[in-house]
Amino acid sequence: MKKVFTVLFLLGCAIGSSAQSSYEVSKIPKELLPYASAIIRDENIYTQVDGGNTLYHIKKAITVLNKNGNDLAHIVVWYDKSNVIKGIKGTVYDEFGKLSSKFSEKNFEDQDASNDFSLFEDSRVKHYIPSIGSYPYTIEYEYDLKSKQTLNIRDWKPNPYPGLAVEKSSYTFACKPDFTIRYKEINMPAKMVAGYTKDGIKTYTWQLNNLKAVRNEPYSPIKDTYLSTVKIAPKSFVYAGISGSFINWEQLGRWNYEKLLANRQALPPATIAQVKELTKGITDVKQKAKKIYEYMQGKTRYISVQVGIGGYQPFLAGDVDRLSYGDCKALVNYTQALLKAADIPSWYCVVEGDNSKISMLDDFASMGQGNHVILCIPLKNDTTFLECTNQKIPFGFLGDFTDDRTVLACTPEGGKLIHTPKYTAAENLQTRKANLVITADGELSGNMVTIYKGTQYDNPESLVDETAKEQVKALQKMYPHISNLNVEKLDIKQDKKEMPVAMETIQLSARDFASADNGKLYFSLNPVNRSGSIRDVRNRTNPVYINRGYVDEDEIVYTLPAGYKPDMEPLNVSMSKAFGKFKMSTVFADGKLTFKRRVELIDGTYTKETYPDLVTFYQEIADTDNYNMVLVKSN
Amino acid sequence: MNKFLLNLLVFISFATLASAQDFSYGKFTIEDVHLKNYKNDTSAHAFVLNEFGSSRIDIAADDHLKIFFKYHTKIKILDTKGFNKGNVAISFYDSDDTHDEVIDIKGVTTYTDENGAVQIAELEHSKIYTTTDNKYWKTMKFAMPNLRPGCIVEYTYTKLIQGFGRLPSWDFQDDIPKAYSEYEVHIPAFWTFNAMIRGPLKLTKSKADIEKECFSSHGSKCDCSYLTYGMADIPAFIEEDFMTSSKNFLSAVYFNLEEWTNPYSGVKIKETKEWKDIDYNFKHGDYFGSQIKKNLLNPYIGPVIAGKTTEVDKAVAIYRYIQKNIKWNDIYSRGSDGVKKALDKHTGDVADINLALVAALNSAGIKTDAVLLSTRGNGLLNTLYPVENEFNYVIAKTTIGTETYLLDATDPLLPFGMLPVKCLNDKGRVMSLDKPSYWIDLVAKQAQNTTSNLDLTLQANGKLKGTITTYSMGYAAYNKRKEIKKFNTADEYVENLDEKLVRTKILKSTLTNVDSLDKPLGEIYEVEIDVFDNLNHNRLAFNPVLFDRHTTNPFKLQERTYPVDWGVSSNDRYTLTMALPAGYAIESSPQPAGVALPNNGGKFLTEFSGADNVFTYSNVIQFTKSVYAPEEYPYLKELYNKIISSEKAEIVIRKK
Repeated sequence: MKKVFTVLFLLGCAIGSSAQSSYEVSKIPKELLPYASAIIRDENIYTQVDGGNTLYHIKKAITVLNKNGNDLAHIVVWYDKSNVIKGIKGTVYDEFGKLSSKFSEKNFEDQDASNDFSLFEDSRVKHYIPSIGSYPYTIEYEYDLKSKQTLNIRDWKPNPYPGLAVEKSSYTFACKPDFTIRYKEINMPAKMVAGYTKDGIKTYTWQLNNLKAVRNEPYSPIKDTYLSTVKIAPKSFVYAGISGSFINWEQLGRWNYEKLLANRQALPPATIAQVKELTKGITDVKQKAKKIYEYMQGKTRYISVQVGIGGYQPFLAGDVDRLSYGDCKALVNYTQALLKAADIPSWYCVVEGDNSKISMLDDFASMGQGNHVILCIPLKNDTTFLECTNQKIPFGFLGDFTDDRTVLACTPEGGKLIHTPKYTAAENLQTRKANLVITADGELSGNMVTIYKGTQYDNPESLVDETAKEQVKALQKMYPHISNLNVEKLDIKQDKKEMPVAMETIQLSARDFASADNGKLYFSLNPVNRSGSIRDVRNRTNPVYINRGYVDEDEIVYTLPAGYKPDMEPLNVSMSKAFGKFKMSTVFADGKLTFKRRVELIDGTYTKETYPDLVTFYQEIADTDNYNMVLVKSN
Repeated sequence: MNKFLLNLLVFISFATLASAQDFSYGKFTIEDVHLKNYKNDTSAHAFVLNEFGSSRIDIAADDHLKIFFKYHTKIKILDTKGFNKGNVAISFYDSDDTHDEVIDIKGVTTYTDENGAVQIAELEHSKIYTTTDNKYWKTMKFAMPNLRPGCIVEYTYTKLIQGFGRLPSWDFQDDIPKAYSEYEVHIPAFWTFNAMIRGPLKLTKSKADIEKECFSSHGSKCDCSYLTYGMADIPAFIEEDFMTSSKNFLSAVYFNLEEWTNPYSGVKIKETKEWKDIDYNFKHGDYFGSQIKKNLLNPYIGPVIAGKTTEVDKAVAIYRYIQKNIKWNDIYSRGSDGVKKALDKHTGDVADINLALVAALNSAGIKTDAVLLSTRGNGLLNTLYPVENEFNYVIAKTTIGTETYLLDATDPLLPFGMLPVKCLNDKGRVMSLDKPSYWIDLVAKQAQNTTSNLDLTLQANGKLKGTITTYSMGYAAYNKRKEIKKFNTADEYVENLDEKLVRTKILKSTLTNVDSLDKPLGEIYEVEIDVFDNLNHNRLAFNPVLFDRHTTNPFKLQERTYPVDWGVSSNDRYTLTMALPAGYAIESSPQPAGVALPNNGGKFLTEFSGADNVFTYSNVIQFTKSVYAPEEYPYLKELYNKIISSEKAEIVIRKK
């Protein structure tokens, strides 16, 4: 391997001197062009652990074929006090591989990395957008990055974006022979080659050639399951001056608990007394916890604070108590402290918060798999999870940001992988019943009751705690297909149970809802719950993945103006597939038209051959949702 | 628009010295603590109880002239939705040569605790963070502690602004209501500023006094004019859809330096007071006139216009050359660091690109001027007196024959003579190098027009087969080209369209003039559309508007406060010609509809004609104006109502 490495190095020199021809666009293999906006011509990432530092050398040449590829060639480097960049420079070549310009660090824009309101200490980003007037062009750049820690080693993702093809890419991890690592390959077509450099440094190398661009396909599984990744974790590491070692989640969780979390929960005696007072007389542990959680919600607010040890350590519970704000870590730690004051044990849990359900890898422990923390109360047969950054969310309810995924609980007994609750399709239920009257001059009036459950509980959130004026505006946006919507009365109730329920009751009217034309009366049969169609994708490669299921049930009883009846046969459509069911019916009797609609979508992974069915399923729903009812006078 | 603009000149009146009007810090009344809502606006989540600002030009401890800007506010937070008012960010300028500072930050939250007792929490200095936004700006950030519904947050700080040119403006109006807001400025007589008040709201206090000998430095002394502007009961500013910059409507006071006297030498320096002064600066400025005057781009232009004979051909060739060869870096500007440099580096800001265009056209003997303007996002210009800082963009203007062209080369998809919508903002100032500058109107020459013709035959199998031909013109063509360019190839665009239209199969497609920007963009698709499963019915109904039917009204509000501003006028025509299979005839058809906006502002028309087994349905949606006043809003909303209801109507055909 020693030889191979030197040869590679020499080759690098050779490329440097005859650069003219190597990035010629015409040399790109033809099979890499479809759906590619940019192509990685050659990427070399060399990562080396050196003492307490991780050093990266990144070198990349990317050819941008058109405007869409600009973003893929946009160079973005994050840095802060413990991640230092050095020697960033690059060269731009034209279509024929001829050098057209060079750039260096001073051409980079340097910016604060926080957006919105965030109390950041020092996190910055340098970025460079190549300014080339015409396509295609090639940009080649390199830089060094020194990360002053060895716990978190960056993943290698050779083809991280759709529209990006890879001609050649290689990754080398280098360390002293006694520095033990574990690694995990995900969808990695290349085999790892181990070796040593002439200085006796151990190397692990992966090399890839000719990866086609991935297309954006709707209803694809979580990216990490089909894109290629190599993850590396050290056995022993140093992080912010604290050392540690782990080979599994149990040990990583223990280190987290002992080094970053323990002893940060002292509370002033007054607060402890307050907690005791609050829970006095309550015997049920869960009820006690609920009381404390609600107290915490009422007292604090979420503010992003990226300070402290590398963003992994919460600030002191005493600070939150005094200031009444904190980020997710601080608020979880504070809630944990409050619960402790009532002798209720709880676990600090690291989770990847996202609408997509991304789990910690069961078989590979590493830092950096989560971006958020929640709290778990391990009650017997009734484990309860708490989201501590939201002042409104019901006790024990997680919503769609952290549900149904594996998280790391950092407990005094070490790390444990546990799973958050799943909300099933049947639980995510929205039911609506409306009684509406249409007059001969087209006016609509009546009432409508909608009940939202499970992850649909949040749907009417924009109506809560708003004044009537704002509520009307929000309702007009929620029901845009009722033009001229006038809300006479609105009532919104939230039952903040663990499986919460919201109920919205509206008294409404709308002029010109039905329009008269040539003696007929037209109106949209379903003005309240419409689904869009989805794009067909031919030659799909990914399986169909439905992230979260739900059930919607709507029933509208229209009282038609006297003397009118439907012009056409009633519309009745139904469909049943593995991934869902759809049924819509209309019945006319005694001057009343009853419209029913039920859509059920079942979460899961289905074969890619299912996709055309899913397209038809949605199209069928969209078509019937758009159906216009035609009434004629009955003679 | 002028009714929102009110000019107020600063002059020195004669009154006695008055003391500062700041309200006292840290004081609160029990009534304020117990307030449950704001009487003037019960929908408010928070409101300002009192706000005070003061600017003073004075000598700082380091013996430099600075503006001392003091800010003090007290906000009642009524519920959790008002909590964002407790997150404070103060931006300040800090570049290589100018270092502003923010000092004396103090803050306090007054709240009622769980036991009903009133508590006070001070802002901790260790919890104030400074971040560097970019090489010019820094921001100080802090979160007020202990927010509860019903709490009062109060904070104050002083900003030290280097020099005397950047006297802070003051926004009376914000996204929450204010019970009272007051701003005072102390300007030593060495300096003269113009003050301009914008927005429809009236001041409730406006005072001009003299402060005796308020300024002294190294032996020179002078009086100050002491101006106070106050406004009570200020409603929240609520943004509406389709409006231009909120800056045009927000009530605020702005200052612009007119002239000053050097306190030490007594030399009077006129800042831009009249257009001729600004004209002079621009003409002679390295960043403007010099870039245009010298034939810097001669060597580049020769090959570009070689072989071109007419002026128009030359101008178009040069325009295309600049569009292609300098990529816009997304930065707005009115002055260039060097047009030659930009052309060599293939990148530049707005002025780099468009001054290069002006220079290049002049090099080719085509007389061209630069035009300064303010983009829609930047707000309207005041045309009462010149303020150089209000301009943030520059374009080119050339006249060839009798035709005048306004040109912006920052976007390679813009046809020759078309301005991006962001530039269509009332007026621009033509900075001619050989005569005084003058105003021109910036109005769109082109509209946003489309015509679609569908020529379809209903087949025995229930599918429609035929051709859809759509031409997009003006801004519609520009938008469509942008859409097409999102894909790697035209084929991928069509494929995506085909995949999106699930019921429609595109059998063959032709796109014309995708790269001929000056011509209408054509899309011709041979299609097969799934309408009916089969024709085994006696009667069949279908909607003649097969695509992009209007089903929701963009205008939902009952009434409107600000104009609806689309930037350009539009005209969309849709025609469906359909042949039925033998044995079918039309049973009923939609009634022709016709609605017009007052004063020829626009219309919606439908027509239907048919005989036997061929019929034609057409509709036109036209908006002849780019801006509609709030008084016209109800008509606009009603026009959309009519479009929606008309597009519900169906054609019924039956077996003969």
